[in-house]
Amino acid sequence: MLRFLPLLITAVATAAPPPIRFEEIAAQSGLRFELQNGEAGGFHQIELTLGGVAAFDYNNDGCTDIFFSNGAAIPSLRKTSPKFSNRLFRNNCNLTFTDVTTEAGLAGEGYAMAVATADFDNDGFADLFVAGVKGNTLYRNLGNGRFADARLATSDAVAPKWAVSAGWFDYDNDGWLDLFVANYVVWDAATEPRCGTPERQYYCHPNAYRGLPNQLFHNNHDGTFTDVSAASGIGRQIGKGMGISFADMDGDGLTDIFVANDSVRGLLFHNQGHGKFTEIGLEAGVALRDDGYAIAGMGADFRDLDNDGKPDLLVSGILNDSFLLFRNLGGKNGFEDYAQRTGLLMSTRQLTGWSLGMFDFDNDGWKDLFFALAHLMQLDRYLGRESALPNRVYRNLGGQRLEDVSSTAGLAFQSPAAHRGAAFADFDNDGKVDVVVTAVNGPAKLFRNVTAAPSHWLALRLRGVRSNRQGLGAKIHIRLADGRDLYNHSTTAVGYASSSEPLVRFGLGAQPAASLIEIQWPSGRLQKLTNVAADRVLDVTEDGPP
Amino acid sequence: MKLLLAAFIATLLHAAPPSPGQPSYEKANALFVAQKFAAALAAVEEALLLDPTLIPALTLQAKLAMAANRFDLANRSLERALALDPQAAYAQFLYGMTAYMNNEMKEALTRFRKARELSPKDPRVALYLGLSTESVGTPADALALYQEAIRFERAAGRPQADTLLPGARLLLLLGRLEECEAWLREAVKLSPSLRDAHFELARLLLKKGDPAQAAAEAELALTLSAGTALDPAIHYLLIRAWTQAGKPDRAALHAAVMRAEEK
Repeated sequence: MLRFLPLLITAVATAAPPPIRFEEIAAQSGLRFELQNGEAGGFHQIELTLGGVAAFDYNNDGCTDIFFSNGAAIPSLRKTSPKFSNRLFRNNCNLTFTDVTTEAGLAGEGYAMAVATADFDNDGFADLFVAGVKGNTLYRNLGNGRFADARLATSDAVAPKWAVSAGWFDYDNDGWLDLFVANYVVWDAATEPRCGTPERQYYCHPNAYRGLPNQLFHNNHDGTFTDVSAASGIGRQIGKGMGISFADMDGDGLTDIFVANDSVRGLLFHNQGHGKFTEIGLEAGVALRDDGYAIAGMGADFRDLDNDGKPDLLVSGILNDSFLLFRNLGGKNGFEDYAQRTGLLMSTRQLTGWSLGMFDFDNDGWKDLFFALAHLMQLDRYLGRESALPNRVYRNLGGQRLEDVSSTAGLAFQSPAAHRGAAFADFDNDGKVDVVVTAVNGPAKLFRNVTAAPSHWLALRLRGVRSNRQGLGAKIHIRLADGRDLYNHSTTAVGYASSSEPLVRFGLGAQPAASLIEIQWPSGRLQKLTNVAADRVLDVTEDGPP
Repeated sequence: MKLLLAAFIATLLHAAPPSPGQPSYEKANALFVAQKFAAALAAVEEALLLDPTLIPALTLQAKLAMAANRFDLANRSLERALALDPQAAYAQFLYGMTAYMNNEMKEALTRFRKARELSPKDPRVALYLGLSTESVGTPADALALYQEAIRFERAAGRPQADTLLPGARLLLLLGRLEECEAWLREAVKLSPSLRDAHFELARLLLKKGDPAQAAAEAELALTLSAGTALDPAIHYLLIRAWTQAGKPDRAALHAAVMRAEEK
């Protein structure tokens, strides 16, 4: 028997980790939502790009709720039927959801595309910004289950363009969250270009539309905002904005911005301080694909994939683009193409990706990748196959390789649809990151993470004092007893048109505690915690004088 | 000997008479080569008026339609040609090209496969079947077809840089850098004034960690006009190459050029 012991040890040591698995529970949990794009054969571009979803705890009960943005009739852009209503679902903390849209006052109006959540007024309740076609709405959370339209309280009306994504961050570290809005193209139903022939019409390429500048709104600390797009330098750059993501890419304590653009180059706005940004996408090496081609950039996430303390950048694209992954080399060295070396390049070449996220689904200490997928509608004929696609999940193998593990992620995971938005949160508070995904003209999906890995985890729920109340922009470093270092930062701007929970999550693998936690708050304060037990949500209030 | 002579005489007797449209077709073809497309179209229509079954004229008509992005008209001409002669290999190849250029990959694959049956040693067919195959996500099969195309050209003593480049690009994507370099070096040797070859070589050298040489190749590419690599793509490579080579001022020059062109 003993002679088999080495073999047994080897077998155990090299045993494959439990597969990342999801079960789809939207219908059984009462999360009944169908995204409606209002298409009626007119091949309007706006029909393609909607689907933002938010994961946020609007009532502070510790259970993450879900908000869906929704389309409208075309060309009126009015919600002419209840089917077009935006929807808020309260998490009942028992894996069921209740539609509370009406009592919350969030049915909305207009053709909504995207949602961004954060506590912009520092009152302890997360607010909502809903972006759309020729109309954006800021909703203030009143703290009693209701939201109030805060548009009238803004000193600068949010100009009615076509926004596809938005996000909250504190660009000047004044303790109040500012708003970034990514605008797509100039669009009008009456004058929109038509492509194809009358018998065989199709959606036009984005090249047929003029791009738009993005917008930055400074928080005036009194519920109003000032449009600082021009003064900050943000408005100088024309793009066709899709997904946005925030990170302090160079460790200077100031949050930078990446904007994925559709068929024009990506924009990286370096925060210079004093309210100024410089666009450095070309110099940093994240503007284009390796061969100089501008992909149809869709979703983006800006996090540390290889645990070296520097945020890396992930961007999805369309068929034959390949998704982009840029590894942050630090400082003036910029970024390098990392998609090829990790195996992501070739394995995503036949995919079209929308929302995405870098989250540690198996809590092994390495952030994995999730992609919401679907080819553009009406492409079936050209592709010779369905445009609906199943989503994909990639396991991160030590920050060196990305392995497509979708085929073992569960039966329901293989189901194709016209997926779009995705938001990430632990909806059932079991320590594993779940995903809610929208699909055009189909039911939303709630993928409950049922990965059987026995790994430990830790989530930080931050409360800023000098910093913004949610601590968005805080950078966290964790050291484990085995010497490993893990990094993440707080942001709700993840993926495409969507907004994820603000909690900062870490998989700890076999380690039952974190030896050291360092929190670099946006205020500049460095807070340290030692020997923190795992498997819980840790509430951390920024220490020191306010 | 008598038998051979009889056979030769019989062949002459049964040979098809020259087409009445042939002179007009030849004129049209010469105009097409000279890129005088409107005149070529008029001449080819005259040829087809005189002989509606003249297959070379039908394929030339299709090529003129493709040049005008009228793939519907091109398909009509080619379908007529193929109905007249299902073995018309060149018409079948062009029929594949109309689908390929229209991004209809499923149809392109079917048509190119048929073309390959008709003309199994045509490097063009192998090359475009490879490109279509790569587009639908089977890179190993595509690479085999690129290799086949090159083999056919070498066997004929006419290897082309343009045939080497798609395979080299795929090898680069696959991370097979040494094989890629061999293909690119050959492409540069065959067509030293082709900017695409130098640009791809620069990409490879940057990937291999030689930014100075990559920058040299890319700077050379910028000075060449023949090829399809666009200036912004070359500038973008140069920004990264000069940055990595420790010459940020030179990188900044290329970034400035790109930004100026964006405005």
